[in-house]
Formats: sequence, C-alpha cells, structure tokens
Amino acid sequence: MTGAEALLAVSLATPLAMLAACLSPRLRARMPGLLAIAPVPALAAAFLSPGAGVALPPALLGLTLALDMPGAILLGTAALLWIIAGIYAAASLRGQANGGRFAAWWLLTLAGSLGVFITADLVSFYLVFAMVSLAAYGLVVDDGTPRARRAGGVYVSLAVLGEAFLLMGFVLLAAATPGSSLLIHDAVAALPASPWRGSTLLLLILGFGLKVGLVPGHVWMPLAYSAAPAPAAAVLSGAAVKAGVIGLIRFLPFGAALPDWGGALAAAGLVSAFYGVAVGITQANPKTVLAYSSVSQMGLITAVLGMGLAGGNAGAVLGASLYAAHHILVKGALFLAVGVVQAGGARRLWPVLLPAAMLALSLAGLPLTGGALAKLAVKAPLGDGIVGQFATWSAAGSTLLMLHFLARLAAAAAPAIQGPVPARIVLPWLAAALASVAIPWALFLTAGSGTLSEALAPATLWAAIWPVLAGGVLAIGLRRWGRWLPRLPEGDVVVLAEGATGAARASGEALERADVLLRQWPVAGVVLLALAVILGAAMLAGH
Amino acid sequence: MPPAVTLASAATAGGFLLVLAIILPAAGVLLALAFGRHAERIALLLMPAGFAIAIAILADVWHSQASLVAVMGGWAPPLGIALRADGLSAMMLVTTALVICAVGLFARGDFGMPAGGGEARAPLVFWTMLMGVWSALNAIWLGRDLFNLYVALELLTFSAVPLVCLDGRAETLAAALRYLLFALVGSVLYLLGVALFYGAYGTLDIGLLAGRVRAEPVVWVSAALMTAGLLAKTALFPLHLWLPPAHAGAPAAASAVLSALVVKGSFFLAVRLWFDVLPGLPGVPAAQALGTLGAAAIIFGSVLALRQERLKLLIAYSTIAQIGYLFLLFPLSTGAAAAGIWGSVAWTGGVYQLVSHAIAKAAMFMAAGLIGEALGHDRIAGLGGIGRALPMTIFAFGLGGMSLMGLPPSGGFVAKLMLLTASVTEGQWWWAVVILLGGLLAAAYVFRVLAPALAGADEPLRLCARVSRRREAVVLALAVGALLLGLLPLRPSELLQIGRPAAPTAIMR
Amino acid sequence: MSAETLYGLCAAALVGLGLFGSIVDPQPLRKILAFNLLGGGVFLLFGVIARRGAAAGMAADPVPQAMVITGIVVAFSATALAVTLLLRLFETTGQATLRTGAPARPDPDSDRAGS
Repeated sequence: MTGAEALLAVSLATPLAMLAACLSPRLRARMPGLLAIAPVPALAAAFLSPGAGVALPPALLGLTLALDMPGAILLGTAALLWIIAGIYAAASLRGQANGGRFAAWWLLTLAGSLGVFITADLVSFYLVFAMVSLAAYGLVVDDGTPRARRAGGVYVSLAVLGEAFLLMGFVLLAAATPGSSLLIHDAVAALPASPWRGSTLLLLILGFGLKVGLVPGHVWMPLAYSAAPAPAAAVLSGAAVKAGVIGLIRFLPFGAALPDWGGALAAAGLVSAFYGVAVGITQANPKTVLAYSSVSQMGLITAVLGMGLAGGNAGAVLGASLYAAHHILVKGALFLAVGVVQAGGARRLWPVLLPAAMLALSLAGLPLTGGALAKLAVKAPLGDGIVGQFATWSAAGSTLLMLHFLARLAAAAAPAIQGPVPARIVLPWLAAALASVAIPWALFLTAGSGTLSEALAPATLWAAIWPVLAGGVLAIGLRRWGRWLPRLPEGDVVVLAEGATGAARASGEALERADVLLRQWPVAGVVLLALAVILGAAMLAGH
Repeated sequence: MPPAVTLASAATAGGFLLVLAIILPAAGVLLALAFGRHAERIALLLMPAGFAIAIAILADVWHSQASLVAVMGGWAPPLGIALRADGLSAMMLVTTALVICAVGLFARGDFGMPAGGGEARAPLVFWTMLMGVWSALNAIWLGRDLFNLYVALELLTFSAVPLVCLDGRAETLAAALRYLLFALVGSVLYLLGVALFYGAYGTLDIGLLAGRVRAEPVVWVSAALMTAGLLAKTALFPLHLWLPPAHAGAPAAASAVLSALVVKGSFFLAVRLWFDVLPGLPGVPAAQALGTLGAAAIIFGSVLALRQERLKLLIAYSTIAQIGYLFLLFPLSTGAAAAGIWGSVAWTGGVYQLVSHAIAKAAMFMAAGLIGEALGHDRIAGLGGIGRALPMTIFAFGLGGMSLMGLPPSGGFVAKLMLLTASVTEGQWWWAVVILLGGLLAAAYVFRVLAPALAGADEPLRLCARVSRRREAVVLALAVGALLLGLLPLRPSELLQIGRPAAPTAIMR
Repeated sequence: MSAETLYGLCAAALVGLGLFGSIVDPQPLRKILAFNLLGGGVFLLFGVIARRGAAAGMAADPVPQAMVITGIVVAFSATALAVTLLLRLFETTGQATLRTGAPARPDPDSDRAGS
C-alpha cells in the first residue's frame, strides 16, 4: 500500500477511531474539542491521493477505496468545511453537558460524509451512505425539543426510504454486472445493457433524489436544517447533502446518452430550483430560507447532471462537482452566519451582515465571487437551450431568495445586546467565508479547464450580473408586496403527508383486530387444517 | 442406489463427535436432576465443552469438505439410525452453542441457586431445560431419521414449555399451556405424515427416502401434513397465536433461547423435508404458498410490532416478522430457474437470516431483560433517558436492530441482500417489495425504541436495580457478533454446499 | 372389507375426532384428552402399516411397533406435562380455562417486566 493509498484508508479510519474512543466516558467528554482534527487526513488525501485506489483486506470490512477528480474536489472542500465547522462546534459546545453525545453523532456523520467520496464498491458505498444519512438524525434532534424530534422523525423516515430504494437499485446493478465484480465502475458500465435498466435508474434517482431534496422529496430539508444547531446545519447542508450529488455522479451512466432519462432528471431539477425559491420567500426563519435555497441549488446541480446524462456528456460531472464544491463552502458559511448573528446582538449586526451579504450574493452568482465561477463551470453542460435559459433565470430567483434571507437574518438578531461574540466563533465563520471565495477560484483555474481571461471577459461578467440585477428588482417588489404572500408551513407538503398518517393508523388498528381474531384458538386450529389442505392441493397442482 | 445414500451409510472417523454433541447436554440434564443444588455449575461447566464440540464438528466438515456421519450401533440404515452433519448442520451447531453459552453467562446472576444451600425450583428448571433444549436442537440439526427427528422435536417442545412459565405467574402458565397444546397438534400432524411415509416406502431414513419418493398422492398428503405441523411449531403467520404471550412473558434469558433457537428447530425440519427428503417434489405452487405466508408474516408481524406498547411484546412480534423472511427461501430456491449459483444465493441468504436473526434476537431479548430489570417495567413510553443509564445495553439493542433492519455491515444486511438478489434473478420481484417494506417497518419499530431511549428523560430516571456490567458485556458481545457476521467473507455459502449433492440444483422440473 | 381397511378407517375416525375436539373444545383438559385420541389414531395407523408389512411374508413388521412404543412414551410425557401445567394454573387462578384470544397486551396495570 503506497502512502497515497494509506492516506485514503486513514481519512476514513480517523473519525471512526475517534468514535471508538468515545466509548470511554473520559475521552468522550473531551471529544468536542478535538472534532476539527477528524477530517484533516481527508483534506490531505484530497491533495495527495487523487488517482489512488486500494482494496482493503476483509478484516477491514473489505472496503474498496478510490479517489477520482470529482471525488477529490468534493472530498477536499467537504473536509475543509468539516474542519471549520468542527472548530465552531467546539466553541459553541463548550460547557454543555451533552457535548460528548453530539460529538459521537458528529463523528459518525463525518465518517459517512467523507466516505461517500472515496468508496468505490457497491457495498462500501451503501455502508457509508447509510452512515451519513442515518447518523445525521442524531445531529438534527440534538436539542431535544418537540420541534427537533418532529424534524428528526420526518428526516429519518425519508432517509430510510431512500436507503430502501438504493438497496434495491444496487441489487439490480449487481445482478446485471457480469462476473462477480462489485465495483461501482463496472456496475455502471454494465447498466446501459442491463435488462432492468429502467427500474435501476428509477430506483437510483429516487434514492439519491431524496438525499439531494428533489421536490417532493425535499420536505425533510427545511425541518432538519432549521432544527439542527448552527454548526450541524452547516455541515448537513454543505457537506452531508453532497452524498446524494456524488451518488448521482458515480451511478448515472454518463458514458451512454439517455435523452429520456436525462431530460426527465433535468426537468425535475429545474422544478426543484424554482420551487425552492417560490416557497423560500414565504418563510420567516432565516435557517428555513437557507434550507429552501439548498432545495433550489441542489435542483440546479441535478439539472446539470440530467443534461449530462441526456447528452452522454461526461464533462457535466466536473462542472457539477465545481458547482457543488462552491455550494459546500458558501452554504456552510451562511448557516454559521446565522449562528453568529444569534449569538451576538442587534448592535453588532453590521460587521456580520456585510460578509453575510457577500456570501449570499456569491450564492446568487455575483461577478468575481466563487458563485459566478460555479455558474460558469456549469454553463456549457446546461447548454443554450431552454434548460440553460431556465437555469439563468433561476440565478435571478436565487438573488431574490438570498436578499430575502438577509432581511430575515437582520430581523433574527437577538434584540438584547449579549456582549461581544467570542472570537472563537467569529473566526471560523470568517475563514469559511474567505474559503468560499478563494477555493472556487483555485479549483476553477486548476481542476477545471477555466482561464482567468475567460472568467473576466466582459460578456461573462454581464451574463452573471444581469440575473442578479433582475433578482434585486424582484426583491424590491417582494419587500413592497411580500405581506400578501401566503405563509407556508416549514416543509410545505409534509403537512399533507402527516395528515395521511391517520389512514396508516387505521390500517394498523385493522391489523391488530385481525391479530386478535387469528389468535383465537378455534380460528387458528381451522387455519392449521386449511393450510395442510392448501399445501396438499398446491403440490397436486404443481404436477 | 444414488451416491448420496452410500455416502450416508458409511460412518466417518469423527462421527463420535456427533453423538457427543447430543449426549453431552443430555448428560447435563441428568446430572443436574441428580445433583440439583449444583445445576448451575454443571451447566456452566458443560458449556465450553459443548461449544468446543460444535467448533470441532465445523472444523472437521470444513477441513474434509464432506459430511460427518455417525451410524448408531454399527447398524446401517434402514435398520439402524444415522446422524449426519453437513455444512448447514455444522453452522447451526455452532450458532446454537454460541447462543446457549451467551445465555448461560447472562443468566448466571439471574438464576443462581439460593445461598442457603437448598435448591430452588426456578433455577433448577432453567438450567436443566436449557441443557434439554440444547440436546434436542443438536439432535434436530444432526438427525437423519424422520421418526427420530419427531422425538427430538418433542423433546425440544417439552424443554421449551417449562422455560415459558419459570416464574409461575398465571398468565405465563396459560401461555405455556397454549404453546404446548398447539405444538402438540402440530406434532401429531407431523407424526401422521411420518406414518404415511413409512407405510408407502418402508423407510424413514432421509437419504433412502430421497431415493425412493415419487410424485404421487401419498407424498403430497404426508408432505402437506408434516409441513403444516412444522409451521404450527414455527409460529409462522397465521399460526402464531402462542408465540407473543409465551416469548414476551418468559424471563429474558429464556425468551432469548425461545426466540433465537427453538422456533428455528421446526423451520429447519421443514427445510430438510423440502430439500433433502423431497428434492423438487413439492413444486412451485406450494413453494409460492409458503412464500406468501412468509410475506404476510413479514408485513403483519412488523406492523403489530410497531403497535406494541411493551418492549418484549415488540420483540416477540418482530420474531414473527423475521420468521417470515425464512420462508421466502422456499419460493426463491424452488423456482423454475433455480440453477447453479443463483439457487444457492437464496439458499445462503435464508440460512444467513436464520443465523443472524438467532444471534441478534437473543441479544435484543437479553437487552430488553436488562432494561426491564433496571426500570422495573418495559413500557416503551417510559424508556426516556435509559440510554444514559445503560449505554452498553442500548448500544447492543441498536446493533441487534441494525441486523433486523438489514443495515450494513450486519448479518441481516447480507441475508437481505442475498434474498433480494435471488428475487431479482429469479424474476420474482414481488418478494423484493416485501423484503424492502419489511426493512422499512423494522426500521420504524427499532426507531420507536431507540428514539426515546437516546433522548433525554422528561423527568430524572429512577432505576430500581443496578445492572451488572458483566451481563451488559455479554449482551453487547453477542450483538457485536450479529454485526460481525456480515463481515465474514462469503465462506458460509461454500460451507453450506458441503454434503448437498442433490439440493438445491436438482430441483428443476 | 379387509382388516387393514377397517383398522385404517378406525384410525382416520380417531384422528378426525381428536382434531375436532382439540380445535373446538374450549376446555384445556378436554383438549388434552382430544390430543390423546388423536395420538391413538396415529398409533393405530402405525399398527395398520405394521400389519400390511406382514403381508410381505414376515410375521409382522416390527419397526412401526417400535415407533408406536416410543410414540406412546412421548404422548404420555406430553400429557403429563400438560396436566401438570393445568394443575398449576388451577392452583394459581382457581380455574382451569384458557381465555381464547387473550388480549395482545397483558394487563397494563401490572408493572412487571415479565422477569
């Protein structure tokens, strides 16, 4: 095993080893302070290990690890966000009784979140995907309020449902793969010729769609992100949700052009992109607004991948990765901003609001920010057709939503002045904000094929700025007439689904009555004899 | 004569191990009855020996890549009676030994003899019956004679029933009586089938019978009777009337044995009957019928588990659901396309489910016992904050739950993966839907326990009793075992093929 | 009608009666008796089979007889165990009935964990 390969294994093993250390109560109590260390090997691996691949021995779960370029981009940025958020969490957890429990869930989610970028076989991927999906529950319900518990319940139900879709999809993939290889690469290569191609694609899109919050599978996002503490919301919305993105990247057969599937996926993504904006502007809680912005942004990434699938364009993958990398950092930094504002008071608002405004407009694609580069990276895959047009307009929508967010953020500040915000909270946030500008430039010029002159060309700048201006105009309209908008509940359609639980309960009661009946002795006795007769008749019929 | 028969009639060198595997626990029963005061010590001394024997048999089967055979008194079948350990038997022997030993370690505190020097009834009954269950199960795993297997099945029931009513409360006595009476009806049906087989073919040796049976009415009648009888003893839905009160009312250590092992004995005989005695004869419709019952059990048991208010009843209903998965083995390996490797995927998956459920469920019942002991009740609504008081126990419960849900890397995950794969490749996708739905419902009922347990308590938790760390450690070790089962490289599938020349590939028709 | 057929029919009748009793009769004691009737029918069937085997030239087929003896021992043990349980139940509750379809949940007032 070379150093690069070993680094991959270590980046997965470090958080798990720290998790194992949590079994000791003494170490568990100290763990919150060490959270930032856990993702460091992964960050190093993102630089040193691209192209490496290693199959671990069975004693180490028999995992197969590999790092390709999209994986390295996402792994590095996600690890960076986990480090920054870890520092922030260490500060905000100081002196809290349940810090050890929070740290344990954090580490498990972290291991899964980084693991999805480096696992290369179906079983390992399923394992780490389940880890990041299910362990996030512990972060969502951390504060134990009824609201958090409801959010956790909705979240975990959909996460488990997504797991079921994926499990079936993976089984179909494996069954269609010639030989006994379980490598994702081989399975996806065999997918276009699979007898179950349609069902496999549907199951994969459903499973990963729930993770990236494709409408209507988005309902858990607003609930979970607004219930989770700020650092947890930052990593969940920034890093953890990218498990779905890497899933789509790894499992969709970009080598084969599938216009129907790709077109449908792009359409679903665009619907999400606009739906997130439309519902987001009716929300009052800044964290909820950010969550709807995530719905919208993830929808756009899905649309990019859909176009890539439709055209058999593997280049879409790199663009989507760059876009996702920017989203990791900027969304993480925005959630931390909410935490900073809530920790401070109204008097110290402006020093916080200014960087936050920069972040928000970066998400909307303001020229020279990371967001503009991200939009540039996906321009080619989206094309000039109707999808490209809609995507441009979605940038205007993003601007509108982000300006709405800034207004809500200012309103959410604690009215009483609570003294200066501790530097150990502000500094990680500022680091995240800085990274969200610097990293996309670095990635754009190195990993991507972009050049400085392309990014600074007047046409490019104009293409980036007019949607922002249009969004600004819309925001003025929203400010003036916004009170006429309906106030939608968090998670919008989830309320309808929760109404349907009555029907589920009724059918449960019916089964319970059936149970009482079947457990009557005479009934069971007659059933026993009937079964003997039925089995005999069935055997007779079989010949 | 087919080769399988000649194989079965020649004793192998390690055959005495098979006899020991049955005799040793039986000797334990007799010794414990003779020296009642020392019942616990006798049982605990015999456990390592029994475990070593099981491991030795497994090693021998694996090493020689052939079945171990013992012929009683040197009389070859049909005159004599043979014992035979194929790969499946060896695996079941080890699983049984593992669970029994863990239960024994767990029960040491619970069923100790009173310090005064006298003997108490409950400990005496517990330890003797535990040995009895072990002996009977080993006889079932190894038996090659249908009548002998009947006797072993009855011994199993007679040893299990007293375990249900150890505490002598009225409701557990009633549960035990219901269990016994229903099981007796089932065993008479089985015996009736045995009589018909003997009348038709003049032998009850599995190997000889497999060579003689033909597709004719008497086979169908006796197979249907025997299968129905075994279903009653396995508590397959809708014949589960006795299981919830019996398994939920028994003390935790006893519930663990009942749920993990005892119901598997009769299931195992059904497998033997369908795949060894009658390879291919029951046909597709009958196998689909069994699969349908299994699917109904999965849905029904899981929904009912979701609606229970008590932890032990929840686990008991979950047993009903998990038994359902076992019966998917029949349609998935009897299908028209059950050729070559894919037939053995369903087969391996079913047996994986058998073993992983045994280990996980034993751990969960014992964890529930510790929770009940600490809280003085086992209402799910009152579990708030127990995670902080008994972290190891709750962790163990969660690990067991992972196996039930089929999350990686647990044994349950591997089992479900294989059953799903089989249903896809056999073109029987409807079982896949049921398996996935069952997984979702399992997640829901495990979550229903874990969510309050891990959340903080509304009011400070009042513990009635201190729980010993040793017992917590036993439960955790068993749960970790259920998890690690998924990490075994796929050796079990090779193991299971040992000694199975005819099944399941010869099933096409 | 040959003797075997007659005995076979008798066995079938006993099995039928036993099944009827064990399914329909709510009294546990009668269920135990019905089980014995059922067992008797099966043992008679074994006897018929032994007799039929004798038609092959032997005086009688001894194997089914051995099985009947074993079966009787098993049935006797089962009966003993069931009657003991019933007696204990009677001592504890003062009545010897099984409530059919006992509620899915035991008495919610009792606070015992069943251990």
